[in-house]
Amino acid sequence: MMTVIEIALRLAGWLVLAPLLPGIINQVKAWVAGRRGPPVLQLYYDLARLWRKRIVLSTLASPGFLAGPAVAWVAILAAAMLLPLGPAGTALSFKGDVLLLIYLLALARFATAWAALETGSAFEGMGAAREVSYAVLAEAAIITAVLSLSVHTGSITLAEMLEPASGAGAALLAGGLFTVLLAENCRVPFDDPNTHLELTMIHEVMVLDHSGPPFAAILHGASMKLLLFSILLTEAVVPLGSLNPIVATGILLAGVLVVTVGVGLVESLLARLAFRRVPLLLTTAFLLCLFALLVAWKGATA
Amino acid sequence: MPGWLTGTAAIALAAGTLLGLRTPRIWLAATLLAATALLAAAIGELRTGVPWDWHSRFLVAGQQVHWRMDAISAVFIAVLAFVGGLGAVYSRGYWDDRHHPRSAPRSRVWWSAMLLSMLVVLLSANGLHFLIAWELFALCSYFLITLERRDTEVRAAGWLYLAASHAGTLCLFAFFSALAARTGTWELGPVRDHPELAPLFWIALAGFGVKAGLFPLHIWLPSAHANAPSHVSALMSGVAIKLGLYGIIRFGGWLPLPPAAGWVVMAVGAVTGLLGIAFALAQDDFKRLLAYSSVENIGIILVGVGGGLLGVTHGDTAWGRLAMAGALLHLWNHAVFKSLLFFGAGSVLHATGTREMSRLGGLWRAMPWTAILFATGAVAVAALPPLNGFVSEWLVYLGLFGAVTSHHSAAVVAMPAIIVLGTTGALALAAFVKASAMIFLGGPRTALARSVHESGRWMLGPMLVGAVACLALGLVPLVFWPGISTAVGAWNSGWAAEPAANPLRVLGPVQVGIAATVLLGVAVLRRRAVTGPVPVGPTWDCGYAAPTARMQYTSGSFAGIATGWFGWILAPERRMRRPRGFFPAEASRIERFPETVLERVLGPAARLTLRFAATARRLQHGRLQFYIAYVVVGLLGLAALVVTGVKP
Repeated sequence: MMTVIEIALRLAGWLVLAPLLPGIINQVKAWVAGRRGPPVLQLYYDLARLWRKRIVLSTLASPGFLAGPAVAWVAILAAAMLLPLGPAGTALSFKGDVLLLIYLLALARFATAWAALETGSAFEGMGAAREVSYAVLAEAAIITAVLSLSVHTGSITLAEMLEPASGAGAALLAGGLFTVLLAENCRVPFDDPNTHLELTMIHEVMVLDHSGPPFAAILHGASMKLLLFSILLTEAVVPLGSLNPIVATGILLAGVLVVTVGVGLVESLLARLAFRRVPLLLTTAFLLCLFALLVAWKGATA
Repeated sequence: MPGWLTGTAAIALAAGTLLGLRTPRIWLAATLLAATALLAAAIGELRTGVPWDWHSRFLVAGQQVHWRMDAISAVFIAVLAFVGGLGAVYSRGYWDDRHHPRSAPRSRVWWSAMLLSMLVVLLSANGLHFLIAWELFALCSYFLITLERRDTEVRAAGWLYLAASHAGTLCLFAFFSALAARTGTWELGPVRDHPELAPLFWIALAGFGVKAGLFPLHIWLPSAHANAPSHVSALMSGVAIKLGLYGIIRFGGWLPLPPAAGWVVMAVGAVTGLLGIAFALAQDDFKRLLAYSSVENIGIILVGVGGGLLGVTHGDTAWGRLAMAGALLHLWNHAVFKSLLFFGAGSVLHATGTREMSRLGGLWRAMPWTAILFATGAVAVAALPPLNGFVSEWLVYLGLFGAVTSHHSAAVVAMPAIIVLGTTGALALAAFVKASAMIFLGGPRTALARSVHESGRWMLGPMLVGAVACLALGLVPLVFWPGISTAVGAWNSGWAAEPAANPLRVLGPVQVGIAATVLLGVAVLRRRAVTGPVPVGPTWDCGYAAPTARMQYTSGSFAGIATGWFGWILAPERRMRRPRGFFPAEASRIERFPETVLERVLGPAARLTLRFAATARRLQHGRLQFYIAYVVVGLLGLAALVVTGVKP
């Protein structure tokens, strides 16, 4: 019984809290620009509105067009359930769960790209091509980051890997993972979630033809992914396991807030990169993670 | 029991070879009987783990026939039975007598003969018989590849296969005769106590590597797989190249290992995986794409095998065991999803008559079953949960991470292998999103894709079985674990005593949970979204009023970004006519990705050799007086040596 309640609580936490993050980012951006900006809860209003709306389908779309967003959403949620939440631990922990998490995110990518290619739109093909290509570099960076945590802690279970700090390589890892976060969540400087010029976008352009409840699932899934990456980043860098649970919870929340505000600041202060520079930046993220790995390896063998 | 089953299967296959020409139904029944018997024998062997031996009373080529089935051969025999049986059913719809009156009977005969020769390869415990069966198997696959021999491209592919295969066989001749000379017998078995035999491992790796398709020995593989009829491609990709792996795995478990064996195999596997999938992503021909993806999967299996070998050479078994288990399971998984994908590709080829993805599109409407089954295979091959590809890759990862977390010296090669494996996974996802979407989604790019039909039951049935097997191997891997565990124990006799820790106990139920949640999510969203009649309209192309299907992203443009990063090895040939003037009449861009090793390295090297030979040939012109002059000059040279006393 307790486990059912616990899982329900976790689910509710992820579902309810996730859409807050884009609201905070928008507030930060508005504040930097000196505007009033949309309410923090704007995404909740949008989701509720979309959930009530009807859909419009392309003549070319197969049933997979509706299945894609659902699969992606479930995959992201499943990945989120594997992530330990500081002192609250995780609902399910087993050896190698970190790899399942990475591959669940890949499943979400497959489903999103699949749905994007359903409508035969050249723009969406462009977005899907960019998404799956840049993900190659992002995935190399993530797996290297995981490897460095694993070398440092001698474990491949998320709960054990994220408990101690990542040691001397923490700053490198933070830089690498933050860059990957920006890329995977389609934020500036990789992508611009605000623009409506489709030629310049990755994620937004993949979901051009979605509407109604499937679009709500896409937006909500994207916000969950952002929350997932912010928690992962915080836990990878801060030694939450060695702290008092209440302090640890506070630090986790603060960490997520710092990451979110950081995303907002990056978005306000930087311009989007030209697409040919994107691989360079992602390679830099990979190299940062690689150096973190070397530091961890040096520390572990010394 | 295994004796009876194997005997029945061998007789049924021999009968199929004899009867296949005239009686398709009896042939099919015999092949299915053989497949069932072999599957039963393999399952029985994997359950008990007790090897089965059989010695003949008669001699073949001066040697007593000795057949042995242990758990390692059983793993491969199961693959052989599965793909062999399914392919036989599939060929009845795909390569029937009505459309191929001349080649369909030949296809049946060679099919049975190939299954039989592969079975004998897997059972032979005598080096000489192994070689004979290996050669027969190479010949049978040559005749199967060249069923459509009027096509020059097919003949070229077959010839290349035959040449490459014999280059490999040459190594194997050296290998087996050296082994026999050193041990004094043709009988095969563990020879770990002869440390001087260690260098033979490299000859075996090269000889079997040609058949397995290791980079850069894979040159024959793409064209052979692409030009063979699709049921043959499935057999080649699912089973034939696995026989190369069988050799590497088998003799890696028997020979004394050179110290570098493990990490060389792992490094070769990682390079094969990464470059294989890079080539796959670049292809526009979907069967070539699948062929290169086979190269990639062989790479992943070899990374696991390398982990197992490292485990053996370092005497540490826990992670070596896991990596090896992952390799063996991936071997099954690859056979299952790759045959499914080749069957799907065959159905598309059958319906449209083209292998070029840029001419297809939107086939899901006419071929919904093929589309969904192909998509299942695509998810499996991209190693995504909850299907089977993920389970085995996960085991390989666990093995590699085990080497890393124990801070073992093997970590130095395991860490790069993990990173390469992750990158390979992301590229495989890109390649298979591309393949399934370009063929089945969007609008039809040419008229070829417009008038198509769904395949018949003979073709859909085997694909359905393949998809169900993908699901089963993914959702209940626990069922398959004991067999894999037995095989890993049988591979290295030192390991058999250890209890098998089962890492799949948690992953299996989690996979089921994920699958159930995905289905639930799709159902809920669909119910919510489709409440009444749904308004349908043309795709909103940012307001462009007259979009055409030719404006869709093509396979080349989809892969363009990632293939650009691999331009150094892919070396694409581009021909471009830019639009000129104010009212450009026409423009074109043609891009071709050659098989780099073959066309840029081997081709020039072969031409150079030929040119040198042609030059040398001028010395031989048939004029006697010159020949006498050569002899005189030679003698004078020798005399000069003798007189001056220079010692060579």
